[in-house]
Amino acid sequence: MSLTDRRAAFERLAMPHARTLYRAAFRSTGRAEDAHDIVQETFLRAYRTFDNFQPGTNEKAWLFTILYSIMSNRWRADRGAPDEVAVDDLDRRFAEALDAPDVNAEQALLRRVDAAPEVRRALEALPESYRSAILLVDVEDLTYEEASAALDCPVGTVRSRLARGRRLLFTALSDYARSLRLLPSEPS
Amino acid sequence: MNAPEQHPVEALHDAIDGRLDEAGQARLDAHLAVCDACRRELMVLQRVKAQVAAAMQPEEDDEMPADLEARLRRSLDAEDQRQTATARPVASRSPWRWAGWAAAAAAMLALTIVWSERRPPVVVAPLEVAADFRQYAAGTLPVDLVTTEVAALERQLFSADLGFDVRVFDFGMMDFQLSGGGVHQVSGQRSALFAYRGPDTLRLLCQMYEGQVAALPPPAERRTNDGIEFLVYRDGDVTVVFWQEGEIACALAANGDPEAAVRLAFAKAVKV
Repeated sequence: MSLTDRRAAFERLAMPHARTLYRAAFRSTGRAEDAHDIVQETFLRAYRTFDNFQPGTNEKAWLFTILYSIMSNRWRADRGAPDEVAVDDLDRRFAEALDAPDVNAEQALLRRVDAAPEVRRALEALPESYRSAILLVDVEDLTYEEASAALDCPVGTVRSRLARGRRLLFTALSDYARSLRLLPSEPS
Repeated sequence: MNAPEQHPVEALHDAIDGRLDEAGQARLDAHLAVCDACRRELMVLQRVKAQVAAAMQPEEDDEMPADLEARLRRSLDAEDQRQTATARPVASRSPWRWAGWAAAAAAMLALTIVWSERRPPVVVAPLEVAADFRQYAAGTLPVDLVTTEVAALERQLFSADLGFDVRVFDFGMMDFQLSGGGVHQVSGQRSALFAYRGPDTLRLLCQMYEGQVAALPPPAERRTNDGIEFLVYRDGDVTVVFWQEGEIACALAANGDPEAAVRLAFAKAVKV
């Protein structure tokens, strides 16, 4: 394949994902310039190793693997090891929220109001490792195996991070629903 | 109630993410049938997943640089120029370079093996519809429109543009009066919901959404009437009946006599 053909094939494959990658990087860094740098580095690394890409496999997962490799190096440099939460405390708070007598009303309330800003706030408050797993699986629609490759951790770890992250989100959203101090209307 | 250590927490997440095979789904269904805590956990976790997906959809006004692709192309141009300028005969390359590429290729092969086709998400619509019914029966289910007029609710749902024709059932002849309805959600799909009040404490809730009942978990009972197959689920005192009308899945949930609920479904189902 000529250099021109290789470049064209790469752009056909990767360019449609540029904005998705940018959004993922922006969500993690919160800074437009950092997000752009990370996406640019992702594209360059992907382009250099494009010959190793297996046609027919999931190019989005491949690009996210490179993106998260770059971002995790930055996280390690900036913050040290990913933060975790005490599992016992998490399980207790989740069980309390789930057992609340008005849990159904709270869930209904969250469907009535625009809960998206609160969901985003709750996501941002999650430990990075939980947030990454949730974003890759629930937003980017990657499989556990693809997320495991992107996050460089076993599939079981992806599953446990998803479980803890989702429990934390539910607990936070339940707190939010309760804070609204509103009751759903009853059909008359 | 099972002891906490017996709750299949991982299986709940596997179910939510469409990772259970038939045997795993059957084991989970058997557990859910007797475990209220896991049913509730499955439901709230499904909603969390849906809320995250909805909240993180791209917004028009996010800080996306308009020239992102152009900037990326410029960096690829620079890389092409660098590659051309530094090109060397293969023989001059260090063998360690090839060892690195071989390792990378092996890693990619491993990734290729594990990147299997995704299974569709497992649908637990019967539990969701039963939970909606309980909320309605408890008076805590919010609806878009409170009305006893079938035509008024049909107009409301038509204006909501659900993408399919909605037929609001009239159960007046069976002593159930419409109390309201609106746009709701079943398994992540927008649904049309109609709620009815019957004699005493009898309540009835119907939902229609784009979906296939063939994807539902095995029912407690399958019935056939006028050439239409009905899938009957029981969740405590709530009976949920599903049937297919073209591309639309219809669900009816009711308390009271389970056979009466099935007959209500028989009365309103239309073969398409």
